[in-house]
Amino acid sequence: MPTVTVDPDELRRLTGHEDKDDDRLKSDLFALGLEFEGETDEGEFELEFGPDRLDRLSVEGIARSLRYQYGDDRGVYVPDTNDAEWTIEVEEVPPQRPYVTGAVARAVNLDEDALDSLIQLQEKLHATMGRGRVKGAIGIHDLTMMKGEVLEPGDESGDVETAGSKAVRYTGIPVDGDRFVPLDSDEEMTPGEVLTDHPTGDDYADIVADYDSMPAIYDEIGLFSFPPVINGRRTEVSTESRDLFVEMTGTDQWTVDKMLNVVCYALDARGARIEDVEVSYPDRGIYADSDRVDPGVTVTRPDLSTKTKTVPHDRVETVLGIDLERDEVVDLLERSGLDAEVTEVGDDVPASDASGGSSDSSDGEVTYEATIPPYRVDILHPLDVIDDVGRAYGFNDLEPRSPDISTVGGRHQRSRLEEAVRLQLVGQGFEDMLNFHLIGEADNYDRMRVSRGEAVVGGGEAATIKNPYSEDYAIVRTWALPSLLMVLENNTHRAYPQDLAEVGFAAEVDESENTGLAEWRTVAGALARTEASYEDARGHLQALARSFDVDLETPPTEHPTFIDGRAAEVVMDGESVGVVGEVHPEVLVEHDLEVPVAAFEFRLDALR
Amino acid sequence: MQLPETQVAVLETASASEAQSIDRLADELDRKPETITGAVFALEEEGLVAVEDRERVAYDLTDEGRTYLDDGLPEVRLYRAAVDAGAADDPASMGDLTDAAGLDGQAVRIALSNYARKGYGHIDSGDVSADPDADPDADPEAAALEAVRDGETDGVDENTLDQLERRGLVEAHETTERLVTLTDDGVTALMEGVEAYEAVDRLTPAMLTSGEWRDVEFADYNVAAEAAEPSTGRLHVLRQIVERVKEVLVGMGFQEMEGPHADADFWINDCLFMPQDHPARTHWDRFALENPSHVDELPGDLVERVRDAHLHGVGENSEGYHSEWDEEFARAVALRGHTTSLSTRYLSGHQIGDLEPPQRFFSVEKAYRNDTLDATHLLEFFQIEGWVMAEDLSVRDLMGTFEEFYAHFGITDIEFKPHYNPYTEPSFELFGTHPETGELIEIGNSGIFRQEMLEPLGVDADVMAWGLAGERLAMLITGAEDIRDIHGTLTDLDFLRNAEVTY
Repeated sequence: MPTVTVDPDELRRLTGHEDKDDDRLKSDLFALGLEFEGETDEGEFELEFGPDRLDRLSVEGIARSLRYQYGDDRGVYVPDTNDAEWTIEVEEVPPQRPYVTGAVARAVNLDEDALDSLIQLQEKLHATMGRGRVKGAIGIHDLTMMKGEVLEPGDESGDVETAGSKAVRYTGIPVDGDRFVPLDSDEEMTPGEVLTDHPTGDDYADIVADYDSMPAIYDEIGLFSFPPVINGRRTEVSTESRDLFVEMTGTDQWTVDKMLNVVCYALDARGARIEDVEVSYPDRGIYADSDRVDPGVTVTRPDLSTKTKTVPHDRVETVLGIDLERDEVVDLLERSGLDAEVTEVGDDVPASDASGGSSDSSDGEVTYEATIPPYRVDILHPLDVIDDVGRAYGFNDLEPRSPDISTVGGRHQRSRLEEAVRLQLVGQGFEDMLNFHLIGEADNYDRMRVSRGEAVVGGGEAATIKNPYSEDYAIVRTWALPSLLMVLENNTHRAYPQDLAEVGFAAEVDESENTGLAEWRTVAGALARTEASYEDARGHLQALARSFDVDLETPPTEHPTFIDGRAAEVVMDGESVGVVGEVHPEVLVEHDLEVPVAAFEFRLDALR
Repeated sequence: MQLPETQVAVLETASASEAQSIDRLADELDRKPETITGAVFALEEEGLVAVEDRERVAYDLTDEGRTYLDDGLPEVRLYRAAVDAGAADDPASMGDLTDAAGLDGQAVRIALSNYARKGYGHIDSGDVSADPDADPDADPEAAALEAVRDGETDGVDENTLDQLERRGLVEAHETTERLVTLTDDGVTALMEGVEAYEAVDRLTPAMLTSGEWRDVEFADYNVAAEAAEPSTGRLHVLRQIVERVKEVLVGMGFQEMEGPHADADFWINDCLFMPQDHPARTHWDRFALENPSHVDELPGDLVERVRDAHLHGVGENSEGYHSEWDEEFARAVALRGHTTSLSTRYLSGHQIGDLEPPQRFFSVEKAYRNDTLDATHLLEFFQIEGWVMAEDLSVRDLMGTFEEFYAHFGITDIEFKPHYNPYTEPSFELFGTHPETGELIEIGNSGIFRQEMLEPLGVDADVMAWGLAGERLAMLITGAEDIRDIHGTLTDLDFLRNAEVTY
């Protein structure tokens, strides 16, 4: 689970509750769903966060949530913004990264703590919503180091709205295009050189590997940002920075806009004044999936507009399982940082027909129009609003109850059969085994003297794992006997006899199946002891077949795992379902075994 | 008074005036000394006999002693040969006599060295004379050999026994002898009459058919002693726990689900409203298969509804994810990362037909995670999955159901930590108190399935669900510290053989 690091003193200062001791703070944080994981050497809290509340990835956001929890703040807060002075002109950008957004923050009070927090927020947003910078990447710059290109009315790229403002350009350049000095470097580099020679470039090279061009942002002076890889050193932010320019690029407008909102709220909490930025798309809109051909659009960012969700009162009550007054629900929503208005739809019965009876409000359908602040990226549906009500109420204050419904339980037939066979085997003296379904290629085939694709039990084509962690677990086993021999191999120091059996899973590639894989349960047994012989294995099989009223025949067969002349096909009710025999000495020696092993394996379904 | 037969025999044979050894009693009664010892101690406990320990010297015949017992002592044989040759009157030649007596080599020297000592006659310059008054039948050493053979050395002259030991015909060793005498109570009991019942070692089929078992007493065994253990079959310890979990859930009204281990991502993730760019779906701990890699067929109408939910949500108030949805991606086959793929299959109606509320379903089946293997993490684990479908379900119903479930495993005081899952809302992580350590541990994940998941599946009711790793429960129950001891080919047979049974 991801964690966020927070200085508890900072948190106390930002919440205005200097008196809360660490323990109290921890329990308040747990109630928010932020579990205390430990402390850093500097005494900062490491908190595990849920990946839904991305507005809590910094101390500012956590403080805001705590203030709501304490009742210090209520309802939706949206910072005022100043009118835009800056514009981002979108040009020929790489189609893989078509969207951009931005904001300006003025008069930021950036001390060490605030800067650290901002950097952490940026990293955590990259890791979560930004999907490792693929979906969205943030660049923050010192505005005083930037020089805007002044747009004139009638300028080919400009329009009336942006006329007279300062502009930066988001564009795409060749990999060996313009040079700039990236962060943590003294050299001018092309984007290509950054990707190969700069440590940060190396980390993110994969993202842009298939891009048609390299994303680049220019101001009047030149290239200053190479998203999503690295910023230029010229605009590097320090504790001296007062005015910031924030840009974000990504694969969709919604994602970068929401990430921007989280950053703007954090800067606002540090006393910054947020200033709009115009984003100008010359020839398209901001919606990827739209069929409409947009002639081009200029939007004002950050988009701090709120949205609303309609939440039925009934649904709040059924989800929480308690009766609530409307005022109570509104109160709980406000304490979650939302606003809510109660609306009531009357009965369908016309008022004139109402026989002057009850005016009880419960006759009508009560709903809440809940207003959602722009930093909440997690609310997709009214249920998410109800979850907020529950959290504010305190889920742990609810009394558990049993659902008042009646159903009849039962086992699946296959699982009952499996269990019955297992019990028979245990009764026959076998130790029941439970092995992995994943196995190494050599273990499944070579070490059993079986070739992949050979037409014998176990020889089927195994499903293969795409990126196996280890070659010991690279395929799905086609039979269980190899697993049993491996258990024997790992237990040669333990007392004999070792009579092992497993009723388990096996599978092989089969194009006629929907998933391309035929899956079945297999029954395998191995008798390892000084006197183990074919008859022992045959005897156990016979007893099992009789228990399930199945006819058993064992015509001789050849199977590379077994000694020639001591191997037989297992035929149950006329169908060939497996193999039984004395294991070949070469297989035994391969598994470091010094006792003979007699074994069998057949398909569970044969006992049906 | 009624006593076991052996005890009665001992009582009747013992004497109040003469202490008798256990060996002697055993001889007299023709029983094994161990049997008599048992009876004597039982009688002593009853106060009917007194037992006294006495150190004594016991003698055993050597091989040579045994030979002389059969063939006669060499000097006696020499004497008889001498008498036969008339040496009582006229000394005879030694060579003739030894030939006649059948003595040679070592035996000649032995005969000669003892002949005179024991007064059978004289040997002078190779001629042997016999004392006519000597009586070879009364040879004390020969008699002593017989007494040693019979174990009746009590009355034998000690010097004679010493002599036999010097000659290497007997071996002496010290033993403790238990001497038994009747006590006054014993005498009284005998006078009042003691009846026997028989003690037998083993109950035999013959005893049962003949009815003899009615008249016997069974000899006491040392029931406290350890015995040899048979090698046994037993159900795998994790399997026992899995079975226990299944039993509990069936008891709570849940029906078992089953379905493919390798499945389309569609069923594993997309139907769960997991966004396609969710880290869990791109991270390489997902067990994607190379072969087979894709399913050919997915239910087309369901695919469209799922796509729509991902893109736009469900209903007017819902917005979906702001990312693309690719059907090809949904067709990719992987080993299921959770058994919730079974739930989506069942809920969709494609597994066993449409389901009307109320329903309860569960599975305890393997799920897969492509990760390194260590003491607490496996590539494969048993996921316990359960869900309830009903018209109206609240988080209180969810809580009550879990409390009931976990109480069966001794885990109470469950805490619900609000949590985030893409497919449930509200969602909770479940924490419980470890029954032994008292620690608060995470024991599951739960929630109410989202509308964006249920509507495309065609479910028009509430569904609450939860899941947890079975191995976690197993480690709690068995106290295992390394999960690899339990599960897989690295298993330690001794651990499995010694693990406590779960029920």
